[in-house]
Amino acid sequence: MTNENGQRPLRRGDAAAPRVVVAGLASCFGCQLQITNAEEHLVDVLGQVDLRYWQLASSDPLPEEFDVAVIEGAVTTEEAEQLVRTLRERARTLVAIGACATTAGIPGMAAAGFIERPRQVYEHVPSACGDMIAPRAVSAVVDVDFEVRSCPIDSLDFVSVLQRALYGSNKAIPTRTMCGDCKRNETECFFGKGSLCLGLVTRAGCGARCVSLGRPCNGCRGLSPDANLRSAQEACERYGVPASDLDRALEMFNQTNPALRGSE
Amino acid sequence: MTKTAIRVDHIARVEGHGNVRVVIEDGAVKTVEMNVVEPARLFESMVRGRRFDEVPYIASRICGICSSSHVVTDLLAIERVFGIEPTDRTLALRDLLVYGSYLQNHATHLFVFAAPDFLGMPSVFPLAETDPALFEQALALKALGNELCTKVGGRSVHPITAVVGGFTHEISAGEYLKLAEKMDAAREFATRAVDLFRSFSAPDVEMAGDMLAMVEEGAYPVASSRSARFLDAEAEFDADEAAVRIEEFSVPHSAALFARVRETGRPYFTGALARANASWQHLGQNAKVAAAKAGLRPPERNPFMNNVAQAVEIVDALDRCAALCRRLAEPDSFEGASSPAPFEVRAGRATGFTEAPRGALFHDIALDAEGRVEHASILTPTAQNCASLETDMRALAEKLVSDGAERDDIQLEIEKLVRAYDPCLSCSVH
Repeated sequence: MTNENGQRPLRRGDAAAPRVVVAGLASCFGCQLQITNAEEHLVDVLGQVDLRYWQLASSDPLPEEFDVAVIEGAVTTEEAEQLVRTLRERARTLVAIGACATTAGIPGMAAAGFIERPRQVYEHVPSACGDMIAPRAVSAVVDVDFEVRSCPIDSLDFVSVLQRALYGSNKAIPTRTMCGDCKRNETECFFGKGSLCLGLVTRAGCGARCVSLGRPCNGCRGLSPDANLRSAQEACERYGVPASDLDRALEMFNQTNPALRGSE
Repeated sequence: MTKTAIRVDHIARVEGHGNVRVVIEDGAVKTVEMNVVEPARLFESMVRGRRFDEVPYIASRICGICSSSHVVTDLLAIERVFGIEPTDRTLALRDLLVYGSYLQNHATHLFVFAAPDFLGMPSVFPLAETDPALFEQALALKALGNELCTKVGGRSVHPITAVVGGFTHEISAGEYLKLAEKMDAAREFATRAVDLFRSFSAPDVEMAGDMLAMVEEGAYPVASSRSARFLDAEAEFDADEAAVRIEEFSVPHSAALFARVRETGRPYFTGALARANASWQHLGQNAKVAAAKAGLRPPERNPFMNNVAQAVEIVDALDRCAALCRRLAEPDSFEGASSPAPFEVRAGRATGFTEAPRGALFHDIALDAEGRVEHASILTPTAQNCASLETDMRALAEKLVSDGAERDDIQLEIEKLVRAYDPCLSCSVH
């Protein structure tokens, strides 16, 4: 349900600076922190927009009118679902940031067998938890115009996507899997060592950061639309990695991805 | 009857979502609630059945700011189950990760979240114009914490390289030395920041509850000890006993479980102020001088002094990180390498324990023979602090009411108190 190119981009000639709000749903707040971690670029970015609401950094209330809504976090309550609909109605452009908002991310892991889970944590589920629903991505609730993927987002990726959201861009978003990045980085393939790596089926764009640092990909950018799961399962078996490990590992960031339903 | 209801929905400049509710009737404070409405992500349920090596990665996502602490705490629990003894080099790198999160957290909390209260600003951004030097240096301090976490952990939020038994990557000696120089360069501003936060006026109030901190002979420990201590009760216990010594309980108005000392039933505070009280004499020289100059000496019970204690800890962390980085840059200065040590998976249960930036963090994990999680219980600093915060909010409200304070002033002071506690509500409801 995403439209990566955005339908109603704002133009540089707009009289007033675009009004931006930042909202956080179920998340670790890490992606909002990564916005503040843009550091020397932060003031430049904020200088281009009229930041109307950012609960993390300021005590102003959510305004009635704004142009761009930036959403972090997964939708895990009916209240959050309503907030997302409100943000969609009021915003001209909606940007989902981080794995939680774009794929339901780690909170999405709880979607399997959700009905049992609250009672596994709480003896009596507090009313403050709200009306809990199985976790889902923002794009499962409303149309999303732009996405910043990864867990957490890369600060400069955010700056770049926000630029596109503010000024418009028809730049195509890569959908390929990660393996080509490792070839270019000349990093050793984990499958050669008999280890699972989700780069095989995960959307590229992070430069294979984890693999470069000696750790297999956990799939935080979500399943690539180009991924060939059947072939990936065969590849696993070929390298002595049980295909069931691939399926289980994919639950970490793709639990709610409809493309995976029925693959198990 | 006069009734004043103060309700702050979605308290700003804290990490996570929470509301404050205070009801005052005929000059008496009737209701005080810290209403934590952060969505429950149910981590303890979601890690059940997951393999041990995924668990620190998943647990990291409890909190963006304290991600390093969650990873290290989880690793300690898993390694205790498997009987792994990490090398000194690995332990030094983990200390760096934890200190990196102290720098990130304390600088963000002090300057972005707390300072605007005292400067009369809605956010930190106006500071960029009114005092650009302060704004830039504050951001630079936070950036240094990010850089430290990035160099050691691979990125500033959710470290990549820290795994069971060691690290998958290390930077070069030259990079360690550069980091050490940056730590040295930041010291002067950090020392001035202690004075700045001391100069902000705060109400004369005292925490009513106990305090809890990690303790270790001759040290100001953050990840190197298994001993926790209730300072008032003078009760010390091993981390594996945390579930026995600490009682978690639920209240309807909070999605975070609350906690109290099981033996005494008292609420308690954990965090920088508790650490400073527990281990003041083992602060580094510069930090100790800064603390003494700012009037922070044990026993200090004013919750607003938590801000000063955090500022002192920044000075301390800079000195310790500079020394650690210089030592890591020297060949053979540590016995053993940081590359992950081989180990055998086995069943068992253990509790990992660290001092996260916001206080004591416990991860109690039971693994089966295949290394899959059978049970997990995570006790975060803010979940421990909520009951103490409510108690202190009530005392503060009562004091302000008896002083004849106006409604808006009561509200502001209570918000300031909440922020002085530096709650991480997303952590508290994991």
